[in-house]
Amino acid sequence: MMEKLLLVDMDKCTGCKQCTLACSLIKEDLFDPQRGRIKVLKKEDIALGVQLVCEQCESFPCVASCPNGALSRDEATGIITVDEKKCTSQGACVDACIYHSIRLHPESRQPMFCDLCGGNPYCVKHCVPEALTWVDKSDEMEKKKKKLRSARMAMYRDLKKEET
Amino acid sequence: MNLTDGKIWTEDIPEEWKRLYVGSRGINARLLWDYCKDPDITWDDPRNIIIYAPGAVTGTTAPASGRTSVTTVGCTTGLYLKSNTGGHWGAELKYAGYDHLVVHGVAKEPSYILIEDDNVEIRNAKELWGKDIIETDALLKEWHGEDSRGLYIGPAGENLVRASSIHCSLYHAAGRGGGAAVMGKKKLKAISVRGTKPVRVKDPKKFAEVAQEMRENLRADSGAQGLHEFGTSGSISAVNEMHAFPGKNWQTGYTENVHPITGQALNEGGYLKRRVACFGCTIGCHRYSVIPSGPNKGLASGGPEYETFGALGNGPGIIDTEGVLILNEICNRLGLDTITAGTVSQWAIESYLRGAISLEDTDGLELDWGKLDEVKQTIEKMAFRDGKLGNLLGDGLKIATNKIGQDSYKWAIMNKKGLEQSNVETRSAKAYALAFAVNPRGNDHLMTETFAEFGSSPEAVELIEKLTGDKKWASSHFTEFRAEIVRWHEDCYEITEALGFCVFTSTAAFGVNPDNMARLYAAATGIELSEEEMMLTGRRVCTLEKAFNVTRGATREHDDLPWRLMNEGAASGPLKGETNSRAELDNALDQYYTLHEWDLETSWPYRKTLEKLELKDVADYLEKRGLLPKE
Repeated sequence: MMEKLLLVDMDKCTGCKQCTLACSLIKEDLFDPQRGRIKVLKKEDIALGVQLVCEQCESFPCVASCPNGALSRDEATGIITVDEKKCTSQGACVDACIYHSIRLHPESRQPMFCDLCGGNPYCVKHCVPEALTWVDKSDEMEKKKKKLRSARMAMYRDLKKEET
Repeated sequence: MNLTDGKIWTEDIPEEWKRLYVGSRGINARLLWDYCKDPDITWDDPRNIIIYAPGAVTGTTAPASGRTSVTTVGCTTGLYLKSNTGGHWGAELKYAGYDHLVVHGVAKEPSYILIEDDNVEIRNAKELWGKDIIETDALLKEWHGEDSRGLYIGPAGENLVRASSIHCSLYHAAGRGGGAAVMGKKKLKAISVRGTKPVRVKDPKKFAEVAQEMRENLRADSGAQGLHEFGTSGSISAVNEMHAFPGKNWQTGYTENVHPITGQALNEGGYLKRRVACFGCTIGCHRYSVIPSGPNKGLASGGPEYETFGALGNGPGIIDTEGVLILNEICNRLGLDTITAGTVSQWAIESYLRGAISLEDTDGLELDWGKLDEVKQTIEKMAFRDGKLGNLLGDGLKIATNKIGQDSYKWAIMNKKGLEQSNVETRSAKAYALAFAVNPRGNDHLMTETFAEFGSSPEAVELIEKLTGDKKWASSHFTEFRAEIVRWHEDCYEITEALGFCVFTSTAAFGVNPDNMARLYAAATGIELSEEEMMLTGRRVCTLEKAFNVTRGATREHDDLPWRLMNEGAASGPLKGETNSRAELDNALDQYYTLHEWDLETSWPYRKTLEKLELKDVADYLEKRGLLPKE
């Protein structure tokens, strides 16, 4: 099977939160924006939505940050899994993530990671404006993914700067 | 909660109501009837209540289901008022665990309501009073967090201006009918909500299937695609080509160079900063626009919508993108409904040009078409009731025409109920004309809408064929079968709002319909209603809303259209000279009341009609007051 990539385009995001709700539905059979593995940082005054989600990145500082060694990474897919027995909900991984994508589950208090729904991301089907797309992997698409991500991170930094 | 004594309590919604009224607009109507049916309860009476309610499926992945109905005794008409808003506030209320927020009483001092899940407080709003919408939202977010969602009024609502609108999520509004003045009277400035509880449905798998069907319908729908690409104002050129885009207080229907006030001009001119969606909406028709350069560089706001380009652009003759952006931004800040603010301004311009009001009455403003600065000042005066002009216009056309007298009602674009008409050329759209006339809150497109009568897509034509038996009736100039078209759309529009859907999904685009709504509701709640039974809940609510107006003395004569549209012909185009004549309207009303089984003379529902809809208690009350027609 052809390898795939999740492209996340901030400029096409309307801030509707369908993706987050879809995630909470597929993972937990309910609707809760706080339980989405993908989240949308919404700035109402400038009508902005910035999507934040695990990028299955190459540096994975979250894994090293965990004092209990509760996180592990699948080498082939980059997907992070949590060892529930080891996790003590201190949130070191939340602070370590350079893409600001990790949140603790409101009930279990364990970090939530996008697992790309095993290769068929449910959120993508819900994103009609195509801010989320699931594309065939290529050098060009890898580049595009990084470019879109840089734009989101730059915006994220600007927003945080504004807050302080 | 009661603002008078500060009491806060919760009640369960009777299970039976979920079958009879479904949610949001429907249950709101029942609540308003129960608490305020006594006609002594006027809009400004402390006993008037105001109810805020997201839909039965708000907070889920059902596409575009995040809307909120606000219901009260309206200040502009003194009659039933339901106004509906998008944004992200309603979903937040749902996540806090509430379906309907019912506010009774009047606060002694300016107040705001804070809701954080189970923590509900009435707080002092001294620091918010007098602040505009943008400032109010910023303060609420500073105090209660960036993730809190606000609903509020601006200075216009505080000043009890009829054109005031309730805003939420900054640029979304339950705009029409002066609900903001009801809040102003209650000294209720804002409601800040933060909710962190999940929303659950009965059968998640089934629910997801129906939601997906709706989503895919909308994805494929050309109307929905157009709304995303160009916003509501994307249709202006086409409406103008039909000579149906009202200009100069409805004296023109065609504007030579209309392009600057279209959605296309927002895109091309670099004004469109972002396409924005209400909560859970897959269409995303809302705009966020910024002036990119020049002396007004950086001026930004939500919109403008079709109606704003109409009422504040083509209406007063401001055929200028930036001009409308400026006026729109002022209204969004001061908390004004752009439709009423624009229509009232146009009436003022025409009144001045005709000599019905003097330079003294305008506080020295030389009003005329196409004068941006004068319109700007007119609107600001209106919001603050500043000077003679501000006080006159602040009361809306119903009161202003009485004050000015002369023939000024002839160019006041409102019907007998007293709400300023939205920018639909009813002279050449006969189902719209009937729908506007019978609308319980006054003549606009926001209690029902009959877009399908234009037959502008295969889905629209198919629907008209279903309702009339022949697709040839899918053209808006026909007078045949308009009552059938209106009644179906009333029921459909009502259930759309009861569930929390945006009405665009079922009556402007075609993705959500009575059949899939019934299936979705069953998956969400376990309450199994057939398509017909679901539609009947819509009929029940529309009839209850009608009955509410009957208690306030509304009769057949209140179901009319503005004098100008009934008596003056359309200025140009294929339907030049066409009116909404008395005879034509009477004929349509007869058919409509007959379909509803309402009395032709009074327009009131019969006892048998009410009882068939399980509204026996409503019939009993009307009988007690001598308001039941003889059968």
